[in-house]
Amino acid sequence: MKKTLLFIAMLVSAISFSSFHFVDEGGDRLLGVWEPSNGRARVKIEKIGTKYYGKIVWLKEPNDPKTNQPKTDKNNPDPTLQNVPLKGYRMLKDFVYQGSDEWSEGTIYDPLNGSTYSCSIKMDDPNTLNIRGYIGVSALGRTDVWKRLAIKK
Amino acid sequence: MFGSVWPLRNKLARMNSLFVYVLSCCLLIGSTIDLQAQVNINPDSASTEEDYSQYDNLDFAADGAKRFCSPKIEGLSPAKLISIGYDYQFGYSIDADSLNRIYPSPGKSNLHPQKAQILRSEGIRLAANIPVISKTNLVWQLGANYWEQRYTFSNPDSLQNPLLLALRENALRTAGLNTTLFKPLNDKQFILFQGSADYSGDYTLKNLMPLQYLKYSAALIWGKRPHEKKQWGIGIARTYRVGELNYIPVVLFNYTDVANKWGSEILFPARAHVRRTINSRNMVFAGYELEGQSYRLWSSNLPGSAVDLNKEDLEIRRGEIRLRLVYEFSLRNFIWMSIQAGYRINYRFDVDRLASGKEIYRAFGFASKEPYVMLNGLGNPFYVNVSINLVSP
Repeated sequence: MKKTLLFIAMLVSAISFSSFHFVDEGGDRLLGVWEPSNGRARVKIEKIGTKYYGKIVWLKEPNDPKTNQPKTDKNNPDPTLQNVPLKGYRMLKDFVYQGSDEWSEGTIYDPLNGSTYSCSIKMDDPNTLNIRGYIGVSALGRTDVWKRLAIKK
Repeated sequence: MFGSVWPLRNKLARMNSLFVYVLSCCLLIGSTIDLQAQVNINPDSASTEEDYSQYDNLDFAADGAKRFCSPKIEGLSPAKLISIGYDYQFGYSIDADSLNRIYPSPGKSNLHPQKAQILRSEGIRLAANIPVISKTNLVWQLGANYWEQRYTFSNPDSLQNPLLLALRENALRTAGLNTTLFKPLNDKQFILFQGSADYSGDYTLKNLMPLQYLKYSAALIWGKRPHEKKQWGIGIARTYRVGELNYIPVVLFNYTDVANKWGSEILFPARAHVRRTINSRNMVFAGYELEGQSYRLWSSNLPGSAVDLNKEDLEIRRGEIRLRLVYEFSLRNFIWMSIQAGYRINYRFDVDRLASGKEIYRAFGFASKEPYVMLNGLGNPFYVNVSINLVSP
């Protein structure tokens, strides 16, 4: 009886933890802070559950020059989201690691025009990402190269 | 008896409690993590407070990594990946010259000049531009386009002049391939190259021209992008924009003001527009575009024509200035519509005869004073142009 109870406890624990702590070493190489090619922002990629998300953590021009207030998502087509601060905004969402240094099934949001595109990420080397935003099919898109950032030496 | 059983039952009860406790902890931790994940995933903005100043002092992780300037500036109208449009010019007159410079014989009266009224000229305009390479240090794009211009005359049966007969029978068509290379030199300077090969004439699918009549245009620009809202450049272009071949200096100047309301999109002398941004999905432009091409007269055996233009080595040099207002707006997400209206001013619609199969390079009269074989006059109509566009991310 004791052994059965212990076995059930271990099994339940294992199932619980494996559901929420699935460790994917390859996929986690995406984690970190990255800079898009335009240098206007820095994006921190985090893992939530089994998916990867990227939020804006730094803006070259943090304040709106018109109002001198922190920039908000004023180009969002949804008026209720236009006052959401850009700093902290999740512009990359729902990426799933596919193996072979590729993450897909995600979206990228462009705060400059308020559009959300399908997106896939390919890691060229540990410090370089090819981020391809596209419309429907990958051919109708554009690739941007992001560089990994680290604390200044 | 009971005294010996109670400790065992207490022990079992404690174990059961421990098991329930461990199980509860597992489920609680799991569900807490799940709940946390859901809380964090749902909003667009990350909910947790964070000290963002920690991201101020970062630099590239890789040694030797460089920043390069982008081909675009903030606030620029979106690049069009696919464009399907229609161009319509309202009625205007045409004064077609005689062909007496080729055929001086006075006996051929149907080579005489003729004036006619064009009720409308119209045609579809298709274009596609696909990025092939989009790297930080190189952007390469390939494109294709097809334009046509059909002429409807008020008195089609009375036409005798060979040029008017050619315009009556067949549309003027341009099918082209183009490429754009953007090469940033560093975070401020860049080189831009654009090249195109155009297949232009009054050909039809059943009567295509040889590829030797392709017309090649190109532009090479060196530029600077001092900040995210301004880029400028100077360069040289080989162009047919005013109909005949020219080599001209070009100036690029794209600008957006601090408030993101006003700006300019200029590639002088090809086009220049002032931009008013209503919001990121609604823009109005005012300005002009120089539009032109050199069309091979390829039609043969036109009904009623006294000469076979196909054998005469003739090309129409068409150049026009389009003064216009353009309204571009997002219909839905990436689908944009462009509506333009304006006044088309004729610059040239003359016919040139190639010299031993080679086009004459005049350099605005400095290199050659060889006259055109037909000097035609066109009235200046109003026009509209509507297109649906799939815009680039």
